[in-house]
Amino acid sequence: MTATTASAAPRRAGLWRQPLVYIVAATAIAVSVVPVLYVWVAGFRTNADLNANPAGLPDPWFLGNYANVLGSTRFWGSVFSSSLVAVGTTLGVVVLGITAAYVIARYTFRGRQGLYTFFAAGLMFPVTVAALPLSILLRDLGLNGTFIGLIIPQVAFALPVTIIILVPFLRAIPRELEEAAFIDGTSRLGFFWHIMLPLSGPGLITVGVLAFLGSWNGYLLPLLVMAAGGMPQDLWTLPLGVQQYSTQYSQDTGAVLAYTSLAMLPALAFFLFAEKRIVGGLAGAVKG
Amino acid sequence: MSAITQEGPAVIAGPSPAPRRPAKRDSRKWLEIGLLAGPALIVFVGFVILPVVLAAVYSFFNWNGLTPLERFIGFDNYVRAFNDPVFTKAIGNNFIIAGASILIQGPLAILVALLLNRRMRGRTLVRAAIFVPYVLAEVIAGLSWKLLLSPRGGVNAALEAVGLGDLTQPWLANPEIALWVMFGILTWKYLGLAILLMLAGLQGVPQELSEAAAIDGAGWWQTQWNITVPLLGPTIRIWAFLSIIGSLQLFDMVWVTTKGGPIGATNTMAVYMIQYGQGQPGFGSAVAVILFFISLVIALFYQRYAMRRDLGSNAGRDE
Amino acid sequence: MMNKTRIIRVSAIAAATALTIGGLAACSPAESNDGDVTITWWHNATADPQKALWEEVAAEFEDDHPGVSVEVTGYQNEDLQRTLIPNALASGDAPDIFMVWPGGEVRSQAEAGHLKDLTSVLSDTIAELGATVNPWQVDGKQYALPYTFGIEGFWYNTELFSEAGISTPPTTLPELEDAVSKLKAAGTAPIAVGAADLWPAAHWWYQFALAACSTDTLKSAIPALDFSDPCWVEAGELLKDFVDTEPFQDGFLATTGQQGADSSAGLVANGNAAMELMGHWNAGQIGSLTPDQTVPEFLGWFPFVSVPGTAGDPTITMGGGDGFGVYKDAPDEAVELLKYIMSEDVQKRFAATGAGIPTHPGAIDSVTDPNLKLIAEGLAESSYVQLWLDSDLGPTFGTPLNQAIVNLMAGQGTPEDIVKTLEDTAAAL
Repeated sequence: MTATTASAAPRRAGLWRQPLVYIVAATAIAVSVVPVLYVWVAGFRTNADLNANPAGLPDPWFLGNYANVLGSTRFWGSVFSSSLVAVGTTLGVVVLGITAAYVIARYTFRGRQGLYTFFAAGLMFPVTVAALPLSILLRDLGLNGTFIGLIIPQVAFALPVTIIILVPFLRAIPRELEEAAFIDGTSRLGFFWHIMLPLSGPGLITVGVLAFLGSWNGYLLPLLVMAAGGMPQDLWTLPLGVQQYSTQYSQDTGAVLAYTSLAMLPALAFFLFAEKRIVGGLAGAVKG
Repeated sequence: MSAITQEGPAVIAGPSPAPRRPAKRDSRKWLEIGLLAGPALIVFVGFVILPVVLAAVYSFFNWNGLTPLERFIGFDNYVRAFNDPVFTKAIGNNFIIAGASILIQGPLAILVALLLNRRMRGRTLVRAAIFVPYVLAEVIAGLSWKLLLSPRGGVNAALEAVGLGDLTQPWLANPEIALWVMFGILTWKYLGLAILLMLAGLQGVPQELSEAAAIDGAGWWQTQWNITVPLLGPTIRIWAFLSIIGSLQLFDMVWVTTKGGPIGATNTMAVYMIQYGQGQPGFGSAVAVILFFISLVIALFYQRYAMRRDLGSNAGRDE
Repeated sequence: MMNKTRIIRVSAIAAATALTIGGLAACSPAESNDGDVTITWWHNATADPQKALWEEVAAEFEDDHPGVSVEVTGYQNEDLQRTLIPNALASGDAPDIFMVWPGGEVRSQAEAGHLKDLTSVLSDTIAELGATVNPWQVDGKQYALPYTFGIEGFWYNTELFSEAGISTPPTTLPELEDAVSKLKAAGTAPIAVGAADLWPAAHWWYQFALAACSTDTLKSAIPALDFSDPCWVEAGELLKDFVDTEPFQDGFLATTGQQGADSSAGLVANGNAAMELMGHWNAGQIGSLTPDQTVPEFLGWFPFVSVPGTAGDPTITMGGGDGFGVYKDAPDEAVELLKYIMSEDVQKRFAATGAGIPTHPGAIDSVTDPNLKLIAEGLAESSYVQLWLDSDLGPTFGTPLNQAIVNLMAGQGTPEDIVKTLEDTAAAL
């Protein structure tokens, strides 16, 4: 992370601003985090407590919801399943995205602009539109109810955003590097492998995190592929799994809150881990 | 980012590495292109384009999803959608949200980013914290806000606790303010991403410029307004693009919190598509295609007029 | 120099990819090998005790039929109805036994040829079940069988009623309005309604339609989708007059129907509203929303009131239920399984779970809850049971009709608008 700007400014320029900054920061943290904390804390309440007093603090503190969720095989099965799918999707998105973006960014050929536009147009389609024909297609290919039948469509729908972010990133890498490499006798592919990939690390992490989050939180595609496809419920992804607490007419609210609090942890952990690199990645993307 | 634009004639920058392009070189180039871009293209066409084209085909039929596809009705589904006041109101809502995002979330994100763009204690904490709402799944975010905004929920309770009991409202129940309450929830969810984008863009603003301005006696605000913000231009334009498209396609958050209610106050095109497409996927597909075209037209306009300036920086790079 | 290493590298990647894909594909569940026949069964019970009951039934059936295995799965109701079953039917790969909703849905599924005709193969079961099988018939043929059915009525708080000076539940509309004003005077929200979910509010109009229209009109107009009879407009006018007396709780437009303490069911459960018009499942629903998670002592039930001066038959009632159908390509064993599900013994166990009112007459005595007993009696006494209007009309009618009704209740629509919506939707079919 490069040095920032205003901290080196002369002190006379704004002593009043320092507290303002901290106030803004504190407000931002509070507003962002409090509703999430609410979900966490509410998971410690019994349903009776929640019904009697929707807004209050736990009284008494009830560990049952969290214990219930942590103790169910279905929860851990879902964690495994979500992780497998998310990692697979991320890998797929990163590999296919970088190769395609490399072609668009560094090769010259007729139809290059068209190819880029083609991928970018995919951004305009909501997944819900493709739901029915997609499930028919997957069934015909025999992929219904498999992990890979879920990963491939997720990768496909994540490609537009990925390519839009990666192409300017790759374009920004100076031509001189490429020319130097060619003079040394490196092929295009070699340049890609030895130089391009390492340099585009931050961008890859950015698209990787976005893809991971998209997969982790996705609902419709897993519903179609896994639920309808006959995968055992113990292996459903986490967003699907939460529905086990909603019946036709009611909802075990305490359990739902506990479940979703726990379900967001891996995604949060992944984000924190990659957080520093994300901002670097986005910096490269928007610079282009 | 020079995205969907027309390319000018190829400009060769500097001596090309290979003096000639023998045919063997060319065919190998195409082989590499195919090898590298091929998989992505296949997956994309097979699992995105193909289903969507199929869906567009459905839109010309009167189909209940159960019988064979046989009742061709041409554009009737489209006419029906545009004649439905519920749908036109939904389109209006989408545009209001898109406009509000640009006019309200944009400046807010820039302002917060400008203020936070300094070495400060807890910088990582702040950045992590404001991104948390984005990490949270839409289903959960919607559920929590529904609980918080219910008549006896957290927000009203908090207002009463600080003595502002007069302001308590049935927030999502009031058709007049429901859309703005929804916009508030959306801001909560997505502002973090905007702020992070702006922060990232600010990394690219050279320090020397602000320092020079400060030495010349410019106040902080003057510096930001006249130097920093304009240099943030490309970032702002990209964010605005993603924000507009996202607003047009808004579905998850609205579906989980209000399902478009009360009486259509928070309806969006995508919510309408799911609700009224029930049992008639032909009609639903038509609405989806309308949604696609509106997004596409706006995207093209935007790329052409708003992002035109960003092309200049890249022109020399294209071969 | 680069070639050899590159080739090795590329093949290594290719091999790794192939292994990964193979591995991932293999992670899919293996085909069931035990038994010659596998029956898939989809239902909507995601939680016990009902889920456990269906699983027991499946296991017992497997024990009785060696060589047959049953894969039974419970899905969330909305997902099942809106997405999973329609998609499964459209893709040609549906489960053998699945939930079939009555009225318009069973009609379109049967007409498309997806359901097995059960009229002759299950004729004795059909005869046992009695009149509740009617909503699942198309052109006189039976395409699914209901396992639970009940009618709608008012769930009310007996204590709040007596505190407000109402000694007996109202039987006519003027009496209801009188009760409403007494409750308001006593400081309670008289009627809770979950208009945010649309259908709980829409049921008010359905009931007024039942009051305004003669039984013959109902029987003929709905299949024919002909709404020219003035009774349909009259229904809206009755509703409008009623809504003008302001009988509902504040903010009813955003109150949900069933989930959470602030839903209409929750309001009744916690004594914040005196009554609610709702279906037969509401006892359990209200019970789950009380502080101690049991059905409250104060809960009572009375049927919808009659409206003087209208053409409708006051003894007809409206209700609905759930049932199972068999996919046309399902093995014969699936029909056997359905027969077992509908057997008196299983129905008795169903009644004992308290999840709803069984359809089998022999199991009705196993219903313990006094309110459910009242409902069963009301069902038995009605001259005709009309299915929920939105179900009867079909899935495309639900949202537009219910939305138009809520618009009227919000003061933004007219009785004529509701009829127009019906006619427009019918025309687009």
